[in-house]
Amino acid sequence: MPSPFLPDWKSAAEAHRVELPEASLRRLEALSHTLLGLRGMLDWGEEPAEVFRVDLEEPEPRS
Amino acid sequence: MTIVEAAAALRRRQISSVELTLDCLARIEKWNPELNAFLTVTADTALEQARAADAELASGLDRGPLHGIPIAHKDLFCTRGIRTTGGSKTFADFVPEFDATVVARLRNAGAVMLGKTNLHEHAYGITSQNPHYGGVRNPWDPGRLPGGSSGGSAVAVATGMALGATGTDTGGSIRVPASWCGITGIKPTFGRVSKYGVLPLGYSLDHMGPMALTVRDTALLLEAMAGHDPKDPASVNRPVPRCLPPEGEISLRGVRIGLPRNFYFDRIDKEVDAAVYFMGYTAEDLGAELERVRVPDGEQLNALAHATLLVEAAAVHEPYLRKKRATYGDDVRTLLDMGRLIPAVDYVQAQRLRRRILGVYLDILKKVDALLLPATPMTAPRIGQTEVEINGMLEDTRLAATRLLRGFNLLGLPVLSLPAGFSSAGLPIGCQLVGRPWDEPLLLRIGAALEARTGFARRPPRFA
Repeated sequence: MPSPFLPDWKSAAEAHRVELPEASLRRLEALSHTLLGLRGMLDWGEEPAEVFRVDLEEPEPRS
Repeated sequence: MTIVEAAAALRRRQISSVELTLDCLARIEKWNPELNAFLTVTADTALEQARAADAELASGLDRGPLHGIPIAHKDLFCTRGIRTTGGSKTFADFVPEFDATVVARLRNAGAVMLGKTNLHEHAYGITSQNPHYGGVRNPWDPGRLPGGSSGGSAVAVATGMALGATGTDTGGSIRVPASWCGITGIKPTFGRVSKYGVLPLGYSLDHMGPMALTVRDTALLLEAMAGHDPKDPASVNRPVPRCLPPEGEISLRGVRIGLPRNFYFDRIDKEVDAAVYFMGYTAEDLGAELERVRVPDGEQLNALAHATLLVEAAAVHEPYLRKKRATYGDDVRTLLDMGRLIPAVDYVQAQRLRRRILGVYLDILKKVDALLLPATPMTAPRIGQTEVEINGMLEDTRLAATRLLRGFNLLGLPVLSLPAGFSSAGLPIGCQLVGRPWDEPLLLRIGAALEARTGFARRPPRFA
């Protein structure tokens, strides 16, 4: 049974109206499996602002 | 001739910048029709700059070690008044009105620009088999790939068509061609060298760096290229240290070099394995301590880097892909389409994990000063070879070529790529030294020590 966390790449490509070769679809599938497995390494207690910190220092003027 | 040798000869008045430039132009004329390293040759401008360099030196104005040295720029760096294609049909007629910061800095250092080098289309690939401008060929065996995307720059340096060149590295694009063409290149720490005026591919992965015959030449180019640039928001405001290692034999006493126990030596060609271990034992012989270390899983790091690049490249190219889709070659268009499909959640989680894995690497680099790894698991494959067999396993050539490299683009750590020997077929083998952030001087010192002892950098290819 397909996992709700693993995209159906063929349908996704059709939705974006792009044609991808079989090899590319296989690469995306392998990539999504690895990325899903990596979720186990996430630190769910981390402070998101530390990851996506916007630097509000005054930028130097462009010359 | 190396940059260091040419600089010394210029100051002894044994040679002029015009003579050096004419020699490079003669090599370009002789070999470029077969090797296709250059897309644009700016012979008149080069000779004009060389004459000016000679006149300045004669009048006592010395801009430093690159004064009068002929170099080439990857055709991804904007050059004022000179076509900058990115190796693409998309930007086939783009003539910038400004110079990339790196181009301007090298010119201010007195370097002479010979022209613009060929590359993989939009720097998005490692073969440098460009569908619009023809493929670049390897000077050690023209039937083989030179690597990419900075393939033209590597070939120009390996053959003496230029004494040095600029390159860019988003997933191995300096280190693959350096490795397969038998030259040296460095991917500096992210933020060390300005990205301003260079056509982007991956916002957080693009690194600009020099390519040259020797470690000392690479160091001289890096010193001139590096430094804070307010025009590049990713540029970091830190002083540029002296990078040039001393000449001759260098002791590595007190230097700790880590050899990974896992991943990096797991599935590589036996000759590559032996060559990189030889470099390790050479370092030990020079006084370094070798230590086996366990590193984070490379396949996982590669997946994070791959997802990040697919998404960032798709974002960079979105407007052009919409308006000029037909101008893209098949392989690059497919990669850009793939990037549009990656879920946003995957990209965000990849950035969170990126930070976590960097922390693990920084801990490892507290215990050792540098990591020694193979650059690519195999020597240069044949042109058109889509799969390579490594220890009995078939792999996609493009993925195999970058799997030991692309993780360090995600982490932003400095990496020096240098020759580690030759295969039984006479093809160059490369290794890489990975260091702490901003520690390029130590990597260059270790590299120079190994180079001085092994002499691998000085063996000329067939076309040289």
